Amino acid sequence: MKKIFSLLVIVIALLVSFTRREEDPVSRESLGEKLFLDPILSGDHTVSCASCHKPGFAFADTSEASAGVHGRTGLRNTPSIMNLRFSKTFFWDGRAGSLEEQALGPIANPREMNLPVDRAVARLKSNKKYRKLFQTVFHEDPTKQNLGQAIASFERTLETSDSPFDDWKVMENEQAVSEEVKKGYEIFNSKGKCSQCHFGGDFTNSDFRNVGLFNGRNLNDSGRMVITGEAETLGKFKTAGLRNIALTAPYMHNGMFRTLSEVIEFYNEPDKIVPDSKNRDSLLSKPLGLSPEEKKDLEMFLLSLTDKKFKK
Amino acid sequence: MIIGSLLLILSARLGKKDIVGRWKTNPSDKGNVTMVNFKADNHFDGFVNKKPFVTGTYQYEYPELYFIDNGCEGKTGRYKVIFFSNDDSIRMEPIADSCKERMEGMKRMVLGRVTK
Repeated sequence: MKKIFSLLVIVIALLVSFTRREEDPVSRESLGEKLFLDPILSGDHTVSCASCHKPGFAFADTSEASAGVHGRTGLRNTPSIMNLRFSKTFFWDGRAGSLEEQALGPIANPREMNLPVDRAVARLKSNKKYRKLFQTVFHEDPTKQNLGQAIASFERTLETSDSPFDDWKVMENEQAVSEEVKKGYEIFNSKGKCSQCHFGGDFTNSDFRNVGLFNGRNLNDSGRMVITGEAETLGKFKTAGLRNIALTAPYMHNGMFRTLSEVIEFYNEPDKIVPDSKNRDSLLSKPLGLSPEEKKDLEMFLLSLTDKKFKK
Repeated sequence: MIIGSLLLILSARLGKKDIVGRWKTNPSDKGNVTMVNFKADNHFDGFVNKKPFVTGTYQYEYPELYFIDNGCEGKTGRYKVIFFSNDDSIRMEPIADSCKERMEGMKRMVLGRVTK
């Protein structure tokens, strides 16, 4: 009897210890992750950040526009929030200047989580568990500032650099990718002109470009111009990074292309898809003239940018 | 005999001014480390925090480096390579580069040799 009792005590102690470990984030990053996954930050407790930034899809969504509270939908495609450490602007139109600011945007957006940030903070303050966690991590009660800091800290951990492409380039492992991938990378940097905008470690120079998806009629999202008020920024959107791009379909700010081959077809000859675009970037003034084989190689290169963690 | 030895020493020193191999910077204020791999086939790759960042081709004849990369819209850069610290470190002095952003980055960069 004594033995059984002792065993029971040990089991309970172990359970408590494991439960505590899971429930008690002790860093900004782990607290941020907990908040990111928790629907407590939405008006009706149904939507979390992860509802739209789905971890299995490189923290992007699989629909053209994500579903928010009460069946409402967003106005633009949900971008991946991975590999943003070096970004200086956030959202498709660059309206946030820091990850901390970005993190709070969807919480307050009526189409997304629909919870004014002040109310979100009050809700966290009145939650015993979160109040304790914020005290542990920030040594103060939840505030607008530390809420943004916690989520942003988690987002900064979402860096990837372990794709077959990285193996090829960083490790100089020539077997890591196929010949098609290598040819695709060559096209990416030359005839395809892709690297003129998708330049750098995460394949974006974080600039804003009008790629020809604004015509003022059925494609009427003014993009960056809404923020700057300058006519020259009409129809411009932030150049998306390309790491893990195979997982983040559909593509572009409005999610209008379902596959990478559709995206490549568009860039190859934009006029074929949107003949009446306005203010399109001069880089795309002429068709690229890619052959079917070159398009395929380009796609193979893009597929090689998927981090191995998503293949496990 | 003496002249022969001197020539040998001189050629060995000149040989050291080869840039083929891997070079990297010390961490910046933000902790970023840039690495460059000058390959023997006149291709080079640049990395930031172990992520491939830039790629291109180069020609090098001491002390001049002439290269073209996949950024800067195909503009070429021409730099003087300055060796120091027993030729284990280099920095670049612009001779001509119409890509201003790249030039600013290059001027600040000090690379230490990792491998030959």
